[in-house]
Amino acid sequence: MIEPVALANFFTVFFSAAMVIMTGATYALLFAYSRVKGMPRMMLLAYLAYLGLFASVMTLADAANLFHNTFWTVIVGLMLLGYLVAPHAIWKLCVGTHALEPEDDKAHPVKIYQQS
Amino acid sequence: MSVLGILTSANLNGGQKLATKYFTVAIALFGAQVLFGLLAGIQYLNPDFLYGILDFSVNRMLHINAMVVWLLFGFIGSVYWLLEDESGAPVVGLGLGNLIFWVFTLAVVVVVLVFLLVQVGPGELKSIWLINEGREYIEAPRWADIGIVVCVLAFFFNVAATFAKGKFTGIGGVLVLDLIALAGLYLAGMWYTPNISMDQHWWWWVIHLWVEATWEVLVGCLMAYGLITTMGVRRRIVETWLYIEVALMFGSGILGLGHHYFWIGTPEYWFTIGGFFSALEPIPLVAMVVHAVFDAGHHKLKSTNHPALAWIIAQAFGNFFGAGVWGFMHTLPQINLYTHGTQWTASHGHLAFFGAYATMVIAFLYIALQKWRGGVYMSSNLAGAWKWKWAIFLLHAGLIAMVMGMLIAGYEQSQIERAIGGSDWVAYFAAQSHRWFMQGMFWRQIGGWVFASGFVLLAWDLMTIGKRETRPAVQNETAEAAA
Repeated sequence: MIEPVALANFFTVFFSAAMVIMTGATYALLFAYSRVKGMPRMMLLAYLAYLGLFASVMTLADAANLFHNTFWTVIVGLMLLGYLVAPHAIWKLCVGTHALEPEDDKAHPVKIYQQS
Repeated sequence: MSVLGILTSANLNGGQKLATKYFTVAIALFGAQVLFGLLAGIQYLNPDFLYGILDFSVNRMLHINAMVVWLLFGFIGSVYWLLEDESGAPVVGLGLGNLIFWVFTLAVVVVVLVFLLVQVGPGELKSIWLINEGREYIEAPRWADIGIVVCVLAFFFNVAATFAKGKFTGIGGVLVLDLIALAGLYLAGMWYTPNISMDQHWWWWVIHLWVEATWEVLVGCLMAYGLITTMGVRRRIVETWLYIEVALMFGSGILGLGHHYFWIGTPEYWFTIGGFFSALEPIPLVAMVVHAVFDAGHHKLKSTNHPALAWIIAQAFGNFFGAGVWGFMHTLPQINLYTHGTQWTASHGHLAFFGAYATMVIAFLYIALQKWRGGVYMSSNLAGAWKWKWAIFLLHAGLIAMVMGMLIAGYEQSQIERAIGGSDWVAYFAAQSHRWFMQGMFWRQIGGWVFASGFVLLAWDLMTIGKRETRPAVQNETAEAAA
């Protein structure tokens, strides 16, 4: 079911796993920033971060022997797909949940302190 | 009319008065956690230190139990704090709530005294009932276990009945459901079975499902209330996102439990379940990143409580790195085989617990203090602001030093003890005496002292912040906004 990581690959596994989360967050951050600021060029950087994520996942999968088993290979595919579409889905939810909110915040000043 | 800058309970409603008691005990127990952590850290470097008087096993137990209990006190206090605001009704059964607070506090004091003075007993049921139940992290004796359940049930009654009498907001609804799980799951740690695999199976229900499900949801509720009160984020949006994040956290977190079942004698299918859902667990964090950027783009980050906002931001980063990055680095079974139970786990635990939970409770303490002092101004150019800023810096600098020290030690253990030595006793001691391990422990101790100095500064700041401030929160922020 699982094939333990070889000693020589320990550091590769730790580092690539950390990079999966870091590049995943960078992709999400740049994706959202590009949409918020209306900067399409930033989206290129976002997908560059996703490429970094792709490379990290493949490195992790190789070092952790995930490709030696069908189940773990499927997990790798799902991770790549999930990270790719998650920011899109979350963005749609953001737009949906903020839909009725006026663009101009001055019309609805921030409620600063709840005095009961 | 409240007097600005004066710490008086006249500024508070009934639930909030009770909350301040919980907060006070929480901070004292936070101090105890730091103290026993320092002592245990010294014992790593000098095993003879306090040997036979206050052994490492006792120090470590007190260190961890103090953390669990101070966070619980902080959470309970935070819920009492928001209860009347959220429900629009006075706390139902406040007298019972006050009684339970004293019972709970007294029980904690007795348990700590028994841990310190009695420490161990014969291997019979009497010891389990009166001294130590023996389960790691939840060592409280059986009488205290039952007492905790009674206290949590009384707390649940206060909360549920108050919302039922007033109104059920989204935050209130999620909170009440979460408290049922919080009380119910604790029962799983009270079964007795001679089968160690079964025992561990249920024990993890408390350890994992409390931490990665019910506590996460509870913190989500507190965060929602915190964002409304400190930044004026709209309730409808905050509550919608609370539902989404609860769904994501439960969706990945409940069966993420499987990553604790890899090596305790449970069937092999837990590899697939644990591996799959552990891979999903970072998704709520990615969602948080996208939503935070979206919100920052739509709302200017204005707040009249800068310390609270700073701790809320620290929570977002701490949760991401502690739970996300540090967790995923060693969660797949292919590598977890070597890292499980090493200092690597301790490194993850320290960063995740402080980042995800302690930060949120501290943010709430600042929210509470603002009102406790009559709704005093607590933003930029606040007198004595250096204290909270240095406290947040020292606590995080100390934490990072501890976490990195343990990371290096854990990396060494996973190689020398597990992969090369095959996890026998000789390998264990070879790894424990290796210079990488000792250097890691040395820097962990340095980090501990820095963290402790940050705690002292934090405690001082909590006692004094806003003391001489005479500006009210709302008027000054409005003036700033107008300017």
